[in-house]
Amino acid sequence: MNIIITGLITGSMLALLAIGFSLIFGVARIVNIAHTAFYMVAGYCIYVLSVKLGLHPVLGMLIAVVVVTVFGLLAYKFLIDPIREHEAAVLIATIALAMIFQEAMLLIFTGDYLTVSALIEGYFILFGVKIFYQQVLTFGVVLVLLAVLWFLLMKTKLGLAIRSTAEDREVANLMGMNDSQLAMITMGISVALAGFTGAVIAPLTVLSPYMWMEPLILMMAVVVLGGLGSIKGSFVAAYILGFTEALVVFLIPKGAFLKGSVALSIMILVLLLRPEGLFGIVFEEER
Amino acid sequence: MLLEIDHLTVRYEKAVLVNDLSLCVDTGELVSLVGPNGAGKSTTLRAVSGLVAWERDIKRRSTAGDIFLEGTVTFNGERIDQIPAHEIVQRGLVLCPERRRPFREMTVRENLLAGAYLQKDKKKSRETLEKVHGLFPVLNQRSPQIAGTLSGGEQQMLAIGRAFMSEPKLLCIDEPSTGLAPLIRREVFEKIAEINRLGITILLVEQEVSLVFKMSCRNYVLSSGKVIAQGTGQQLLEDELLRKTYLGL
Repeated sequence: MNIIITGLITGSMLALLAIGFSLIFGVARIVNIAHTAFYMVAGYCIYVLSVKLGLHPVLGMLIAVVVVTVFGLLAYKFLIDPIREHEAAVLIATIALAMIFQEAMLLIFTGDYLTVSALIEGYFILFGVKIFYQQVLTFGVVLVLLAVLWFLLMKTKLGLAIRSTAEDREVANLMGMNDSQLAMITMGISVALAGFTGAVIAPLTVLSPYMWMEPLILMMAVVVLGGLGSIKGSFVAAYILGFTEALVVFLIPKGAFLKGSVALSIMILVLLLRPEGLFGIVFEEER
Repeated sequence: MLLEIDHLTVRYEKAVLVNDLSLCVDTGELVSLVGPNGAGKSTTLRAVSGLVAWERDIKRRSTAGDIFLEGTVTFNGERIDQIPAHEIVQRGLVLCPERRRPFREMTVRENLLAGAYLQKDKKKSRETLEKVHGLFPVLNQRSPQIAGTLSGGEQQMLAIGRAFMSEPKLLCIDEPSTGLAPLIRREVFEKIAEINRLGITILLVEQEVSLVFKMSCRNYVLSSGKVIAQGTGQQLLEDELLRKTYLGL
């Protein structure tokens, strides 16, 4: 039971992160290493707003998401967009961006671990396992977000344009879709997702300026397992990884130490055996 | 004139793909560009639809070589050679690209709706969708199917249907017969002629000369990026040398 709860929560969190990461990669071929740094910034935003300024946590969350999205769009406009066609440069720039966020958080909040209180305190017992209301809430919010995202991508014109551009940028242009504008919008959605993830996960974890690294590696493993650019793949792979991690932690003695290596082993195995991932697209060489 | 290309030159680095080419298409016509591989037919269509300029801007930003685009293209009395591709569609010049290129992971219906992206009026795009279904009944039957699983001929019809959804005044079609069986080719060409009869001007690039000459009003023969002959199919076929050297008949 514990395994299921942990697996579901980790999986959902990874799914949100990985889908956001996949989206912007699909549309604009941007590998955004700073993706989880935005998630961290959201966590700190909530800390400032709800703990320091005493705002209502829900209000704090919403403001945090907006702030992070604005940060993301600014970063896109001034840092990524000018070098967008240069994939290696984008990679380096986003690593730098993540470092900048890390150092900024270190300067402002020092390296101390900070905590955000849960929205709803308390727990109930199911099959002899303590389940915190906050865990249920987090999982519920994640499911709602995934549903909203699904609706946006599959049922709206904007979603159609995003998917078209992700599949064939040139042909999408021929349908009148403006690829740079769509890249900007997708960046906004992607970072907002990272922000939301940070917002709902903040009460379940501790904040530190280095908290972006672990989910980054996990997220990369998810994206590799699911197939780069495939949203369905990210979704499935996130839960596979979430549950594997939970299994290792709970079933193997001292398994918590093996946490990080699970993701990396999966990543290496996938790259060796099936480089395109579970649902990946084999890139067709442009003629 | 609906479309006028005047002294168009396209160079990728040092390779000259289109060399000082001029041609025109009048409203209602079906005009074909024929000629051997590498004659610059596709590049001409790509330049007209704004893709060359788009690619050039990307290359400039990534310092991966340069593309030169000179000359003027006038569509409906307006210069369009420096306008980005996604804005040219708005003006009614639509390209159905080479190798069909459907969005393979989306359904047939979604592909067609993507073509109607710029049409804000839902009722109007539904009307156009019905027209496309009338032209290609097979697309109606296959509506919920994933486009990547269609046969080659169906994918070609989907690509043409998708371009039709953008409500073109001038529809440019690049090599619709590539990789299709003779019978299917004939069917595709019949559909193209039918679209032309609906009053949509068509600029067609094709290698399959024998079929094209029967239906087009005028033809341009291209070689090494230049127009080397023009006229009706009949006129071009009378020229022995041209027929043997460039048309392969």
